[in-house]
Amino acid sequence: MNHASLILRHREKLAAWTMVAPALLVTMLFALYPVMDSLWLSLHNIYIGLPQLGSPFVGPDNYLTLVRDPVAHQALAVTLAFVVLSTLLELACGLIIALVIHERFRGRGLVRAAILIPWAIPTVVASQLWRYIFNDQYGFANLLVFGEHVTDYVPWLAYPGVAFGIVVLADVWKTSSFAALLILAGLQVIPDDLYDAARVDGATAWQRFWHITLPLLKPALLLALLFRTMDAFRVFDLVFVMTQGGPGDATQVLQFYGYQTLFTEGRIGYGSAVSVAVFLMILALSLTYLRAIGSSLLERRQP
Amino acid sequence: MRRIVRAFFTYSCLQSVPRHPSRGSHQRHRRAALLLAWLVLFGPPLNDSIAGEPAAPPKGQTASITLRFVSWKPDHPRVWDEALAEFTKTHPDISVVRELAPHSSTAYHDLLTQKLKNRDATVDVFFMDVIWVPEFAEAGWARRLDERFPPAMREEFLPATIEVGRYADHLYGVPSRIDAGLLYYRSDLLTKYGFAPPTTWDELARQAETIVEGEQPRNPTLRGYTAQFKQYEGLVCNMVEFIDSHGGSLLTADGTHSALAKPEAMAAVQFVRDRVIGRLASRAALTYQEPESLSVFLQGHAVFHRNWPYAWELANNQTRSTVAGQVAVMPLPGFTPGRTTAALGGWLYGISAYSQHPDEAWALIEFLSSQAMQKKFTQEAGIAPSRQSLFSDPDLLAAAPQLRNHFAVLRSATARPRSPLYPAISHALQRYFSRALAIDDLDLVHEATMADAQINRLLSLTEPVP
Repeated sequence: MNHASLILRHREKLAAWTMVAPALLVTMLFALYPVMDSLWLSLHNIYIGLPQLGSPFVGPDNYLTLVRDPVAHQALAVTLAFVVLSTLLELACGLIIALVIHERFRGRGLVRAAILIPWAIPTVVASQLWRYIFNDQYGFANLLVFGEHVTDYVPWLAYPGVAFGIVVLADVWKTSSFAALLILAGLQVIPDDLYDAARVDGATAWQRFWHITLPLLKPALLLALLFRTMDAFRVFDLVFVMTQGGPGDATQVLQFYGYQTLFTEGRIGYGSAVSVAVFLMILALSLTYLRAIGSSLLERRQP
Repeated sequence: MRRIVRAFFTYSCLQSVPRHPSRGSHQRHRRAALLLAWLVLFGPPLNDSIAGEPAAPPKGQTASITLRFVSWKPDHPRVWDEALAEFTKTHPDISVVRELAPHSSTAYHDLLTQKLKNRDATVDVFFMDVIWVPEFAEAGWARRLDERFPPAMREEFLPATIEVGRYADHLYGVPSRIDAGLLYYRSDLLTKYGFAPPTTWDELARQAETIVEGEQPRNPTLRGYTAQFKQYEGLVCNMVEFIDSHGGSLLTADGTHSALAKPEAMAAVQFVRDRVIGRLASRAALTYQEPESLSVFLQGHAVFHRNWPYAWELANNQTRSTVAGQVAVMPLPGFTPGRTTAALGGWLYGISAYSQHPDEAWALIEFLSSQAMQKKFTQEAGIAPSRQSLFSDPDLLAAAPQLRNHFAVLRSATARPRSPLYPAISHALQRYFSRALAIDDLDLVHEATMADAQINRLLSLTEPVP
């Protein structure tokens, strides 16, 4: 390699860094810095209401407390149940919606637009709507089930299990269309000739779905799964608006617990530990998924 | 973060309130929903999550100092506008910018403390809930008012309202108004069935049972009792009333330990669990804050109702209440006659430690807590004043005769635990109570012991507060 080309390479490198720098800087500032700061805070004991305690470095103490905290255990269990239930239901609903709006029929454009409405409504508004729907006195759910028999009206959100189910339902209603969108994109890249060939071979609709659609949808499904799991893990607004974690902690999720400890209780160290724990769990999950998605893409390349 | 703050703010506008709604629940919700839609669609930038609205100085004057007064969204905005307009008239050199925070006490707390944590100099005067004083004092957010607010001035206020503003021998707040739990009841129904107002919970339960049964054909949705049992701060207020009147307490007398697993406290919780939720009161009460429970009463669906003084005006307001004129108010019952307890609530004015204008801030507080202004707020906004003399003011008593009844209750009301870590203690209490009331198969002893341990851990971090 001669001198001139070395300089050229060097310049190219410099140019590359200069061009990447703004994006890198923004990422560092808005993603890396807060995460590292939370991590740092979580290693200290800080009570906003007790400044005379200072902010002593306590190492992993907050994490050890977290592991033994029964409220956190309950919140983790509720969060995991929420993630599994809502994600599975959203994928199932999303798949059905995607299959429907993939078909050609009159008014498809309108239906596609309509499907997206729940997703376009801000979560806070949607949560408030669902809270009204399940109101014990004037809620639509009671009217639907019991009609004019007001004496039979049920306070849905007063039962721990039901309240949890309603939060899941609201999330499924809200985000199934997002899953549908991702899956629809996956459907559209499946070549039609595969179906034509299958038809020629006499495959039934079910066989075509099971042997062609589903396997080829795998990357899209995994992607939808990745997004939905990560999103479901950090569920906050639904709980904040609909139940405030109640009744009896039945809808207390980790993110809401973290919010309460950080913002209301002013336990900065412990609250940060809760947030970091949620972050680590999401990170681990997404790494697993990304690996799975990567390998599934590889499979497709080798016929 | 932005999403959280936004969710937080928009919701809080809607969220039912641990304090005082004035509009009917429906209208309130509709308006709030509109506001909400607007807010979320044209989302406010992060820093505007509190909306300022300057009160313009009178024409021809230029204000030299701008005071920022952070308060919750008032129930009677007109009364506030008038009061502040009058202040600017008498203090032409000061203009007051009101920063309106969410209506819900907890949401307001989170937002205000967020500003104070950041040593925000744009806060001068704020409202403090009585339960926040130790926290604000320890954190150094509230200025000491020992000199500005001398003993001679303090004597004009109800002693309880001064005490809640005190922390470690210093005074941090000037009482704006006082709150205490009261029992509202349908005087027409009690008279119809020949009952005298109940003094014990047992008596209340028996009366309610008879009345609900007798009214069944006319009013099938009538229930005996309605109050606030949602998992939130108001739940602590309701439960402290049951526990205290049963001879128990939340903390031991020296304030060093939690006392939830003591037999008296356990029995009180057991009573609410077995006889109130789903029986005396609809199970729906587990989802009720003040507005929802009040609305049930205003629609004539409950014989008895526990609420704060503000509910009186609404209950007897012809346009908002279907039971106006048929409502009476009295102290809450106890478990033995004569032993009654009301949870102490209320609001204090405080000056931010980071305010650049403490003198002007004090002038505003002095004005707002003056005899004349308190009278105005009592008359026009239906709240209970903190100045003793107003309880015997002939004008006020003529317009609000219930004040006479309130006086004894307000004087003897029970404060919630006083600790700089109260928000954390309250969460533990809310969790315990809500679990105890909402979950069917529950080892109550185990739950109480766990809550005790959790609260004891928090208490061990601080000196006990007398």
